[in-house]
Amino acid sequence: MNVLRAWIEERLGLRAVTGFLAKKEVPRHKHTFLYYTGSSILLFLGIQIVTGVFLAVYYRPTLAEANTSVARIITEMPFGWLVRSVHSWSATFMIAFVIVHLLGIAFTKAYRKPREASWLTGIMLLGASLAFGFTGYLLPWDELSLAATKVGTNFPKAIPVLGAFLSRLMRAGDDVTGDTLSRFFIFHVSVLPLVVMALLGLHLFLVQRHGMSIPLQEERKNVKVPFLPFWPNFVFREAGVWLVLFGLLLTVAVVFAPGLGPQADLMAPAPEGVKPEWYFLFMFQALKLFPSKILGLNGEMIAVLAMMAGFGLILLLPFIDNRPFDRKGRVITGLVWAGLASTVAMSVWSLL
Amino acid sequence: MGRPCLYGGHVGLEPAVMSERRLAMAAIAALVLLSSFASGMLETQVQTVPQAPVGPAAAKTPGQGTVAAPRPAQERMAVGVLLAWVWLSIAVLLGLLRLRVREADRVFRFGLDRAAGKTHQDPKP
Repeated sequence: MNVLRAWIEERLGLRAVTGFLAKKEVPRHKHTFLYYTGSSILLFLGIQIVTGVFLAVYYRPTLAEANTSVARIITEMPFGWLVRSVHSWSATFMIAFVIVHLLGIAFTKAYRKPREASWLTGIMLLGASLAFGFTGYLLPWDELSLAATKVGTNFPKAIPVLGAFLSRLMRAGDDVTGDTLSRFFIFHVSVLPLVVMALLGLHLFLVQRHGMSIPLQEERKNVKVPFLPFWPNFVFREAGVWLVLFGLLLTVAVVFAPGLGPQADLMAPAPEGVKPEWYFLFMFQALKLFPSKILGLNGEMIAVLAMMAGFGLILLLPFIDNRPFDRKGRVITGLVWAGLASTVAMSVWSLL
Repeated sequence: MGRPCLYGGHVGLEPAVMSERRLAMAAIAALVLLSSFASGMLETQVQTVPQAPVGPAAAKTPGQGTVAAPRPAQERMAVGVLLAWVWLSIAVLLGLLRLRVREADRVFRFGLDRAAGKTHQDPKP
């Protein structure tokens, strides 16, 4: 055993990593629970990779076979329905945790210097997660997914100059067809995982480089914040959180297994009550609220540009609020609350 | 390994910790027995329930979605048993993790990890 350990150590030099982890510390305060959201995202990502590989073994990304292959997975493969359900629900859990993680960082002002790059990579990871959800939604190739994808890929058309090109790039043509399905599948199983791995590697490196941020509220108490050793104290706690989340995920996946709609027909009209996934509902509702013309300009274009400006502001938040860490930043806190409230309200309104 | 342990007989907390450990072991044993009994009952029930056909259930009628729930009674039971086992295992593992967390926290509080060569600073209460 020692010979094997020495052999591995000689080649990989893991002692530096284990030494770093042994000395790593986690601040202990009333917001410590926020640290668990980051690692929980990794748990759900891991589950999605494993279940995704299982699904990819049987899934066929062609117009004729996509829907029937998913039907086969959920009706004929042993526990295929459960694997698909866990895959689907872990995506939902992951996006929810990414949002909670980013909100926690925004409220505790952990994006400020020197953690600007961590915030940027985090927002990009949110974008990649949403892209995973969007591309994955079409893959069952049922009526609802086709209609939602038509709406979603029509959305960039409102962007001036580049809009039509972006829409064609997404659809692999002028309309959603079998080529779109192939393109979405390739993005879902190959391009996006590579992008996520690269961004995640950089994000984790930055988190280790700068250490875990201590919330401003704790810093202002002028008392040295106590800490926990990462290994084993924090890792054991984290393992407990992972176990509970895994149990919850499995239970939800069993009780609320997603169904499969009838095979999509490219010639058929869109079914009534088409709605995107919950994390796109606020955009869907915002688009519906904008009038067709505003001061003689295309209302949809203004809505899309306003949303893009909003996302741009979120991405550049560390450069907008670049004040020293000891400033409270009440305006930013208020704006984050307002943004959160309006997003939730829009999403709920869309469901009514 | 090189890490100090409270069960090693150096800190003087063994009786409390050991009794907790015994309690945890007894709880685990009881849970294992109970779940074995429950899963046995469910398996017996599976054998008596007429099995639903698997093949035709996959067929779809136009305009109607495929329901993604386990169809055959055996799979339904298996899923129930699986869920019960998963939660049971989670409960047991959480119990064990709790013991390890408490031990690790005590080791850290008494500074025994620093004695073992780590370089954490002094914790403030």
